[in-house]
Amino acid sequence: MSHLTLQRRARLRAGFVPQVAAAARPDPLGITEIRLFPVREPVSGIRYSLLKVTTRSGVTGWGECGYDPNWDVKALQSSWIGRPANAYATIAPSTPCGAALDMASLDILGKTAKAPVYRILGGPTRTKVRAYSSPYSRQFPVAVIDVPTPESRNQGKAYQNRIADLVNAVPADVDFVLAGNGRLSPGDAASVAATVEAKHPLWFDEPCSPSNIEALRKVSGETVVPLGFGSGIEDPGVFQTLLREGLVDLVRPDIGIFGISGVRRVAALAEPYYVAVAPRHSGGPIGTAAAIQLAASMPNFFIQHVPLPADERDRAMRREIVSPALENGKSGFLEVTNSPGLGITVNEAAVEKYHAS
Amino acid sequence: MRRRNFLALAPAGLAMAATPKRGRVVTDSCGCAFQTQTGPLGMEAFADVPSGLKITGMKVFGVSLTPTSDRPYVFVKLETNQGIVGWGEGTLEGKAAAVMACVNDFRDFLIGADPMQVEHIWQSMYVHSFYRAGPVIGSAISGIDQALWDIRGKALGMPVYKLLGGPFDPRGVRGYYHLDGANRDQLIQLRQTAREQGITCFKGGIPGYYEWIERRPKIDRAIKALQLLRESLGPDIDIAVDFHAKTSPSVASIIVKEVEPLNLLFIEEPCPPENVPAMAKIARRSTTPIATGERLIAAYGCRELIEMGVVDILQTDINHTGGITALWKIAAAANVSSISMAPHACEGPIGGLATIHVDAAMPNFLVQEVCGLARLTDTDRVWQEWLGFPAMRMVDGRFPLSEKPGLGFEMSEASLAKYPFGGTRPMARVFHEDGSVAEW
Repeated sequence: MSHLTLQRRARLRAGFVPQVAAAARPDPLGITEIRLFPVREPVSGIRYSLLKVTTRSGVTGWGECGYDPNWDVKALQSSWIGRPANAYATIAPSTPCGAALDMASLDILGKTAKAPVYRILGGPTRTKVRAYSSPYSRQFPVAVIDVPTPESRNQGKAYQNRIADLVNAVPADVDFVLAGNGRLSPGDAASVAATVEAKHPLWFDEPCSPSNIEALRKVSGETVVPLGFGSGIEDPGVFQTLLREGLVDLVRPDIGIFGISGVRRVAALAEPYYVAVAPRHSGGPIGTAAAIQLAASMPNFFIQHVPLPADERDRAMRREIVSPALENGKSGFLEVTNSPGLGITVNEAAVEKYHAS
Repeated sequence: MRRRNFLALAPAGLAMAATPKRGRVVTDSCGCAFQTQTGPLGMEAFADVPSGLKITGMKVFGVSLTPTSDRPYVFVKLETNQGIVGWGEGTLEGKAAAVMACVNDFRDFLIGADPMQVEHIWQSMYVHSFYRAGPVIGSAISGIDQALWDIRGKALGMPVYKLLGGPFDPRGVRGYYHLDGANRDQLIQLRQTAREQGITCFKGGIPGYYEWIERRPKIDRAIKALQLLRESLGPDIDIAVDFHAKTSPSVASIIVKEVEPLNLLFIEEPCPPENVPAMAKIARRSTTPIATGERLIAAYGCRELIEMGVVDILQTDINHTGGITALWKIAAAANVSSISMAPHACEGPIGGLATIHVDAAMPNFLVQEVCGLARLTDTDRVWQEWLGFPAMRMVDGRFPLSEKPGLGFEMSEASLAKYPFGGTRPMARVFHEDGSVAEW
């Protein structure tokens, strides 16, 4: 951005006056307590953080964000205790565990209005939520193929044959996603895409790192396989760059980073590019509940990833923490319910049980 | 602080600028000040170069072929002091009443004006509408513009295509009908009909509705449907395929690439029209010509597509884009980028006949759409009843040109009365499996 542009925008910002006015009387939705519970699944060892927000009126809200041992909970508490829990749009991007605060805020708003979050947000835009899981589960007929990296450079046809075998193993009536996990070189990614193109994968997830725009241009220019990006992206500006350059077909903001309203804003950004949204979700069942509300409030939602742990003990933990069990799909779709807020009850005793700092 | 003062002062400065210096001032509730204006402004400037013609009346007709039609025709009739009348069409699917009201909003631009000054009146309607033109204003301008050209042709005693410097081909302009066949047998039958009638081109579509990322059964089904068209119609008939913006750039790119061996004449609207670079993403990965533009208004709306050379064919619609005046200009600009013209026309017979005139004078004309079928339909019969000849029916694969002045037809108000306006009806509203909104 040019120096003059920055100067003009700084001048406008200088005119902004903080909008926070002292409440005339105690706000029933004023936040009185914020607690963060890092939890860990007993077998997979996957960690995520659950957040509980309590308001003066007694209404509580729950949210979830990624696990980070350095979350500054004190900073979160000192900036948010006393502020109105409902003002989710005012959560600053840098807020520690801001995604969870956003979900909790919408949970409280919904419970106060006795309405599901999607209704607060102008939905529902759909009656059910297409989903897929990894590892593969029969309730969601979408296979995820983890694309191996070549064992050495310049493997050429041998590598392509290996990829083709993996794809051919998927039954013709099952859709599949290629997961590159950001590990492939641009040349290998383009080679994989060309190999599978005629099999019509749903999309090629993270074929390579999105940091090298010219590399993406190569993959996108040589094939028509849809490309999905979102892993690790924290700045919406990265999505804007990919959209502007026409290098992404499916934006995948992480619900544990962006929260409900953050993903929704990225979805709004993608809409005029005719680009669909498949929020990333690698956390727990509160995140899934939030993802369902989110899917039912976006027009351009395509599919939701549901982390379904392989071990029964991990799945039991998810069921213990949150009821009802929302992660059971039917013919590839999750249900949209009519319960207020995030549509769940959180069992705090169970959260304490799996609490692991 | 100084910066804040600067911003605080701005509204006062604007208010001063808006204060008119002369004329009666009307202040409404918003505090905005206007100078009242009546009659076609600026006409006095042309007092020394009169044509002698003056517009004395304007009528707008809503015409529903069936009581529940989603596209009642919107016809405009302009009357003059010398008895010459002009007809035009501004049919806008699903928004008939809005266009009829908008045409009436232009009354002050027209009554008393010289109908020969088409270019001048067009500019006034577009520029003085301030917000420029979307589909409603664009369709209203289209209807009025066609009627003005009709009057001018009649006054000068020549068909409109001659006013435009045509024809390129005196045999007429090449056209296509829509495909009318659900299965292989019907399509093979259609191929025979085409041979007999001299039809050289058809347009079809793709089945179903598509999400922005799509599952492979749906993609495979679309590809198979297009393969069937080529197999059944044979190699000699040109096949165009309208994606109707049902697909995103992502999904369209996949299908377009797979059907390259079918050698299609063009693929139309592979994605919605608002985003030119998105359209470009499809076009640059395909050897099949890409067409778009039926929803675009005036050359302003097509400028980015044209200057970037994004697509191969433009399809602006004479009933929406701003009439004859806008359509010939778009063709001229497109020609500079080696873009061909295949105008859309899926409304009534007046716009259909008007577009033939412009086609005949385009150096870059490819083919003209008409939403009719190779076989005669009830619509064809009504048009014949109104106009006294088979409007928009091809002879040897071409729409013949008329030698009559203006747009080349006479129409009576009485003949329209049999089809009273049934009100605005929405266009199709379709939804995906999960209940979400789908493009159709």
